[in-house]
Amino acid sequence: MNKNETHCLLCTQPLQLITSWKALLTKQFPPSICEKCLARFERNTSHESTSLYRYNEAMKDFLHQYKFLQDVALAKVFRQELHTHLKHEKATIIPIPMHPEKQKERTFSHMDELLKSAKIPYIQLLEKTTTETQSSKNREERLQTPPLFRLLPDIRVEYKEYLLFDDIQTTGTTLQHATQLLLGAGAENVRIFTLISG
Amino acid sequence: MKYKGWLLPPALRDFHEGRIWLKNHTPFHEDDIKRAIERNYFYIKEGIQTIPQIKCNRCQNEEPQQFTHFECSKCQKTCVYCRHCLNMGRISCCTTLLIWRGPQTYKQKQHQFEWAGQFTPLQQQASDEMLESVKRQRNHLVHAVCGAGKTEILFQSVHYALEKGLRVCIATPRTDVVLELFPRFQAVFPKTNIHALYGGAPKQEGYARLVMATTHQLYRFQHAFDLIIVDEADAFPYTFDQTLQTAVQKAKKPESPIIFVTATPSQKLLQQHKRSGYSFIPKRYHNHPLPVPRYSSLWRYENSLNKGKIPLKLQRWIEDRLTRQEPFLIFLPKVALMDIVTPLFQIIHPDILAVHAEDTDRKEKVLKLRNEEIPGLLTTTILERGITIKNVQVAVVGAESSIFTASALIQIAGRVGRNQAYADGDVVFFHHGITVEMDEARATIERSNKEGFPR
Ligand SMILES: [Zn+2]
Ligand SMILES: [Zn+2]
Repeated sequence: MNKNETHCLLCTQPLQLITSWKALLTKQFPPSICEKCLARFERNTSHESTSLYRYNEAMKDFLHQYKFLQDVALAKVFRQELHTHLKHEKATIIPIPMHPEKQKERTFSHMDELLKSAKIPYIQLLEKTTTETQSSKNREERLQTPPLFRLLPDIRVEYKEYLLFDDIQTTGTTLQHATQLLLGAGAENVRIFTLISG
Repeated sequence: MKYKGWLLPPALRDFHEGRIWLKNHTPFHEDDIKRAIERNYFYIKEGIQTIPQIKCNRCQNEEPQQFTHFECSKCQKTCVYCRHCLNMGRISCCTTLLIWRGPQTYKQKQHQFEWAGQFTPLQQQASDEMLESVKRQRNHLVHAVCGAGKTEILFQSVHYALEKGLRVCIATPRTDVVLELFPRFQAVFPKTNIHALYGGAPKQEGYARLVMATTHQLYRFQHAFDLIIVDEADAFPYTFDQTLQTAVQKAKKPESPIIFVTATPSQKLLQQHKRSGYSFIPKRYHNHPLPVPRYSSLWRYENSLNKGKIPLKLQRWIEDRLTRQEPFLIFLPKVALMDIVTPLFQIIHPDILAVHAEDTDRKEKVLKLRNEEIPGLLTTTILERGITIKNVQVAVVGAESSIFTASALIQIAGRVGRNQAYADGDVVFFHHGITVEMDEARATIERSNKEGFPR
């Protein structure tokens, strides 16, 4: 996973090496996608504290290729932006976990890989208890959902601030369940942060 | 034998015969696949081989840059996958490929043949020569100018092969061509099960005697075909992507011949076939010479266009077409330029439209031109082949650009005069300097005309 890209991960056009020089001097990650592909993503300037991007056509394509086609290499696409945004984060970061069965099926945890690529440290305290997805449920069903997470065995939730990291905020149920669990187990405060706003 | 009571579902055999298929992507029930494996009906191959060097066993990609290593939650170690054929379902070191070696489908040898067309003497000759090569199992190149009627030439050989119980594939780099050829072959062989395979194609039932596929889809076949015909063999990306050429070799049985059909064969292809099977049709089916491109200088056209001004010569050319009510195509070297000039052309006529490769309305726009709903279309090289529009006139703007290779220019010129009633027309290369490629295109067309119409 650590080699440098010679071609854009999304459109396969050759990447300009000049940008790599700039990257070297400014200690940035070398580019993994071309300028044109980068420009297709839409930054979320209004709520930057809780999410980085807006959902659009480019993001839909990205999620399809990353999650559905299992293109782990795409974890690199947002590493610079994620790194810049999270490098000074004081809270302890917890990526939303997948159900172990689902993770085995996909062969990787897409949230963990995003953070790994961005060289952002994280820990895991939670375990997903269901393989169901929340987006397929209506409001009524969501409200009655049994707990989506439990704490991992042999861990301790400390009295401090945690930051939950998920890919996209749609119904909010997932993040709500995780937040409640952590607060109930003794966390001082829990904030949320997503790659994409819903 | 453990599963005595189990009967092989014919659909499973029909689907998997000739295919190399990801085990976790098979459309059949896990249980049936398990039993078929226990009966030794499948040869199982690792998805990615790492010795002696890394290679994808489906698409044959060996380029290290196109593989990604990662910590795999399934196989619990460092795993690797191929990004080159990712769209067909990811192949990694913990996936396996299934290759059928079980009982074979019954070889149907009766194939209704419905074709009452007439060949020109040259078509007849090429058709006979091709058939001879098929019988002798040798490779063959059909070099037929644009508009020679090359599809019809294939019918006789395909019919012969089908009646021998052979499995035939017609492959082409372009989806458009698959979509165009499929109904024509289905009409000629109305009782034959034919599949059309391309990215996003619907599921098709049964065992296909005749497969029409993009060259990409051939990654998914192995030693399947007794005869492969590669149409438009010089089209992008076939010549650029070595794995597509390997795919053709892998999809056919080792001893099976390949027939190449193209209007613009590369030197390499010509060299390979000059001494084996080779047919040349220098003349169009309607017995009129090919329109010869003319040159017209358009110095610094990019500057004027960027300033929002259409050069006078070009403007006149369009106005001429409009007054004479002739549909036209204007080829441009890049999308960026097309975006700039489209509004300018629309000042001349508001209904002029533009198409490029990623345009989802491509088909509709071409149809509008054909139905005379719009006067003309601006396009990139995406429309250089495969389209036929009655009485169309063609201009290339920036013919000196490197994207306009000799073969691209020949194909573009080949759009004009295809209809018997409008056998001539204007092909103009607007340029900022004449290139070798332009000269080669024109010389090749003139040479074909000379051969087709000797004095
Ligand atoms: Zn591959
Ligand atoms: Zn694996």
